[in-house]
Amino acid sequence: MNIEQLPIINLLLFLLMALVIPLLKRRPFKLTLILGFIVLGFVFVSSGYLLWYVNNIDIIHYTFGGHEARFGIEFIIDPFSALFTTIIAGLATIIYIYSSGDATEGIEKTEYGRYYVLLFILLMSMFGILYTNDLFNTYVFIEILSITTCAIISIKKKKDTYTAAFRYVMMNELGSLSYLFGVALIYMATGFTNITLIGETMQNAYALYPVNIIIALSFMIIGLGIKAAIFPFHIWLPDAHSAAPSTSSAILSAIVIKVYILVFVKVLFRVFNIDILNEMNISTILLVLAGVGMIMGSVFAIAQKDVKRMLGYSSVAQMGYILLGVGLLSFDGLRAAFFHILSHGLMKTALFLSVGEIIYYKKTRKVNDFDGMGFIMPVAMGVFSIAALGMIGIPLTSGFISKLNLGLAVLDHNQVIFLVILIISSLLNVIYYLPIIILAFLKNEKYRYRMKSIEDTPRTMIAPLILLGVLIIILGLFPNQVMILIEAAVNSIMS
Amino acid sequence: MIKIPRMKIFDSMARSNSYLVGLSLFLLLVFIAFVGNWFGFNLWISNSKFYSQILDSHFIDYISIIIIVIPIIGAIIELVYGDKSIKHRDKSVIYMGFLTLIIVVMIYPVILHRTLELHIPGVFSLGLNLRIDMLGYAVLLLSAFIWFFVMIYAHEYMTKEKKSTRFFFFLSLTYSAVIGAIISGDLLMMFIFFEIMTITSYMLVIHGQNDQSYKAGYNYIIMGLIGGFLILTAIILLYFNIGDLRFESAIEKLEELGNLKYWIMGLLVFGFGIKAGMAPVHVWLPRAHPVAPTPASALLSGVMIKVGAFGIIRAASSYYFPSKDVITSINDPLWSAASHIGAIIIWTGIITMALGVFLALQQANIKKMLAYHSISQMGYIVTGIGVALYLGYEGAMGLTGAMYHIINHALFKSLLFMIAGVIYYHTKELDMYKLGGLWKKLPFTTFTFAVAALGISGIPLFNGYVSKTILHHGIVEAYEMGNHLFFYAELMFIVVSAGTVCSFIKMFYYVFLRKTTNEYKTMVFDYSSLDIAMWSMGLIIILIGLFPSFILKSLIIPILNLTNYDSYFIEHQILHLNVFKSEDLLMTLMIVGIGIIIFFVGKKFNLFHLHLPKWLSIEYLVFFPAYLFMRNLCRLMYGDRCPTDKDDYAKLSEKDVEKIGFIDRFVITSNVFNRKYEQSIIRSDALIYTFFITLILVFMLVKKHLL
Amino acid sequence: MLILEKIIDNINYIGAVALFVIGLRIVVTHSNLIKRIMGINIMGTGVFLFFVAIGNVTGGIPPIINNNQINPVYINPIPSVLILTGIVVVVSITVYSLSLVIRIYENYNTIDQTELSKLMSEEDNEH
Repeated sequence: MNIEQLPIINLLLFLLMALVIPLLKRRPFKLTLILGFIVLGFVFVSSGYLLWYVNNIDIIHYTFGGHEARFGIEFIIDPFSALFTTIIAGLATIIYIYSSGDATEGIEKTEYGRYYVLLFILLMSMFGILYTNDLFNTYVFIEILSITTCAIISIKKKKDTYTAAFRYVMMNELGSLSYLFGVALIYMATGFTNITLIGETMQNAYALYPVNIIIALSFMIIGLGIKAAIFPFHIWLPDAHSAAPSTSSAILSAIVIKVYILVFVKVLFRVFNIDILNEMNISTILLVLAGVGMIMGSVFAIAQKDVKRMLGYSSVAQMGYILLGVGLLSFDGLRAAFFHILSHGLMKTALFLSVGEIIYYKKTRKVNDFDGMGFIMPVAMGVFSIAALGMIGIPLTSGFISKLNLGLAVLDHNQVIFLVILIISSLLNVIYYLPIIILAFLKNEKYRYRMKSIEDTPRTMIAPLILLGVLIIILGLFPNQVMILIEAAVNSIMS
Repeated sequence: MIKIPRMKIFDSMARSNSYLVGLSLFLLLVFIAFVGNWFGFNLWISNSKFYSQILDSHFIDYISIIIIVIPIIGAIIELVYGDKSIKHRDKSVIYMGFLTLIIVVMIYPVILHRTLELHIPGVFSLGLNLRIDMLGYAVLLLSAFIWFFVMIYAHEYMTKEKKSTRFFFFLSLTYSAVIGAIISGDLLMMFIFFEIMTITSYMLVIHGQNDQSYKAGYNYIIMGLIGGFLILTAIILLYFNIGDLRFESAIEKLEELGNLKYWIMGLLVFGFGIKAGMAPVHVWLPRAHPVAPTPASALLSGVMIKVGAFGIIRAASSYYFPSKDVITSINDPLWSAASHIGAIIIWTGIITMALGVFLALQQANIKKMLAYHSISQMGYIVTGIGVALYLGYEGAMGLTGAMYHIINHALFKSLLFMIAGVIYYHTKELDMYKLGGLWKKLPFTTFTFAVAALGISGIPLFNGYVSKTILHHGIVEAYEMGNHLFFYAELMFIVVSAGTVCSFIKMFYYVFLRKTTNEYKTMVFDYSSLDIAMWSMGLIIILIGLFPSFILKSLIIPILNLTNYDSYFIEHQILHLNVFKSEDLLMTLMIVGIGIIIFFVGKKFNLFHLHLPKWLSIEYLVFFPAYLFMRNLCRLMYGDRCPTDKDDYAKLSEKDVEKIGFIDRFVITSNVFNRKYEQSIIRSDALIYTFFITLILVFMLVKKHLL
Repeated sequence: MLILEKIIDNINYIGAVALFVIGLRIVVTHSNLIKRIMGINIMGTGVFLFFVAIGNVTGGIPPIINNNQINPVYINPIPSVLILTGIVVVVSITVYSLSLVIRIYENYNTIDQTELSKLMSEEDNEH
């Protein structure tokens, strides 16, 4: 088999799996789960292999139907896309294992199949977004992603999920249309939708039609900003997160919004190049958005009573961190941002999954009801604590390394004010994460005597949690190995 | 004639613990013998083949990791035994502590010979850097001894507390973190261990698990983390500008940074100062100490706050001192940065000591009083550090005083806390106005208290006198060689010392001497590991007081030789320092006199019961603008129809910061803010979109056309 | 006159932008959920019109190879092709959101945004 076809096979496998699930309706559900796990495992391994391949041998170009890149659709598998597809596949596998342990909370039994159909299409579209080298193709994948996300949000048949999903549709449609409008303007100026070709002609186009390019970029910032839940456009996120089942909140928060920011990075660095961006002073806009988001996301999170909403707002703040790294438009900045994408992905997944377990078994999502929870569910709360400490930026967790790198990147850009914002934001994180840990482990020990019935949860739910906790700490201890891959990705995106 | 009742040995481990303490004292003796070169002991060791083999081996470099890991192993074993076998559980902790102590004492000849450095790349992005040099070793040795004694003490003390397994577990982890912080080779490692120490010691502070301890603990951990973030900021700034975080001279690069170097040092001083209990960021300390179990407060005061001071010394004396081969005189401009920083640190130290002693005099709770004295004594240490920096090339006296006082304070303050613990253990009472007449029932404790109190008051022949005299010399030098304004610093120094004397006379009188109706008839007189640990510490206090030059020779002179202070000065002023000069003795006499006068005046006019109004606390004053803003924010947002609950509003206008802290107020305010804006932001989805797209378009197009 | 000429030259683009703005205005000002969906649709149409307009070449003919023409000027077919996909996507989004509106109406008996949020905040307070 030709290595070039491997990425396509990944996509096709996801699609095929989504098709097969309804056909297996009459068989035991376990069969579906196992099959899905095999697919995910295969994709994880193959993306890992691709990651090794592109880093050590060569970048893969694949054009569909043999059409020339300017007419057809081109896939590029380079260190950037290979790295993030591997991360996505890995995180998705962990979440998948967890969700197979009966934790798709609040979903009716008959809907399980549908949930997994949506999940695989979701993964397919994310892989597509990362692989493709075509702006319009990206738009199509983005729309697929939006619809499936929205369907997952509203999969629980409850009142408030519908309104949350509706708000999501409205906001995301605005975002998609803005993005498409941007693509149209770029197409108007350059005549291409292929990213590489646009990148080559961009300098000329900017000289000829500067207004086009400026408007296009503004629309794309806003459009992708909405989808990536950058602060003033985060509106859809808290409702969607609290409405969706925990596993899908994890996917939404840890993976989906990151994919949009990766598209954004692609647009910034490959479509436009740094010279134009610097001339337009894009950095200022992005940094202001990031700084405001880092503070305001945390301030709103402090006031939340619902733990999932709180985590949602925390994601908004963390997206601010990532945007800060991206907005610096420098090697160090991107490096820090990419590392934070990975580390936040791990930490947020751990947080949502552990909270999901608690919600599933204790039927409570109020922060105040967490007292003594550490005694009933030591694993869930333990992993929650590790991840929360990571969010605060305590050493030995991956969160600390990302903060360190971000801080250095910020200084490199001579923006000391953002270092201050970074520190204040960390302090705000302390204010809302720490009380939960204290509440869970130290207060109200009435549950202490019920310890015999602790954590009566399936192993498939416990194992991914432990894995996540371990990964967070390993990443905090040995960041250098991952950093090599990330630097390769940054190099490929900036060249 | 006092009738001494027959001793009873309750605790099965008392005997074995006593042997252990005896062994530790033997270790101390070996150490003394080595330093004093009794019977050619020193030469014998230095020339032995075994020793030279050790020096050459690479294995010895890994000793630093080993001493970090040992307490962790102890913690794990301890957890395995848990509540199943209290004896085995405590043994694992104590023996591991003893093992650490042995190793630490044994490596002294090696450290004297060379600095142990260990670098493992690839971890924590910058690599794992550990190093034991003389500066770290002095604090390490001190911590090892005190920790060991406190563990012996804790074994007995904790039998009356709940969940002691958890306590010992975190005690061991904290120990490991403290060792790590002391022997780290770069600022990042130090910070990492510092953070771990904050978190693990938090578990010790809240051990009582009542509302009060939660409040104090929350205060403690928030301030600890804030300190951590300040240090982190400094680390990022340093690493960015210098490119290296190892503790080496960086002043030449720092000189190019202009004012930023003062910012960095300010961040470090405040970051470490929070742990060290420096004013005005000391507020956690008097709250955390009374609620923590006694062993924890003894260690907090004895060791952990010293690690904060050690951090300041370490960072300042490495980064801000010129390297040894560059500098030859005091007039070198490279000293100016250190000098400027030093002046500020001196004043901070002076304010800290004055504030601490002033507040200590008003306290009724013994532990609270001791906590305020810790602040005050940390003021001495900080002042010493300030002098060390301020005088630059000639600042050896300041560093000597600071290091000496770190050692002394650790000894007598942990002993004092242990005594407070014994009092509480027997009487369940900490209010000194309710206690009294304890000397009949606890004669040995009374005696050890007297030793410790004489130590802290700075009476000749006890250890406090030595370091206070050296510090006094340092301040005098500061105003003779530097700015004459430091004359007032000296004045404050005398007043504060007198206050300390008065404070301990007061405690001695109220707790032990005073006749009361309550005779504590049921109190049983027993012998246990509590006493043996305390006696040995008292013994060390007296030994240091009698032979003040021993510590100088064994620990402090090697430290000074590693720094780039004037070697002539070290040779002549410090090596042959005589603290028992008549003028120093007279000064002490005067201090004691003033102290006694203050005590009688205070007692006569009831000044000790004077309490300041609640709003006059530092925390309230510092945050007052923020409080005012928060209180009125609701009105600003809603006008008169402010929907906040009366309850919330009352909380926001509370003047007592001990009840409602800054964080609580902030959370309430953010709730108000959230209620007002969250839903309205969510509702106006498309409006925000329109607004921002217009804003960005206008911004970019206008900018384009203007250019 | 120059301005007028410019407007006439770019009438297709201006029309597209006008549609976009009209749609946006509907989304912003109306609280009826169905009207908002229609607003989104109009916005989408505006973008599509814009896209298609790019491909237009004055005096061009449909890009079907016809040997009768000499030096033919074809219009660019790619935008139209792309937009076909776009239309499909927006239709599916519309269908999906309309179905959501039906569910919302079943549950809350209203499709008015302001009433809806009032109802929801009342429910929140009851909890």
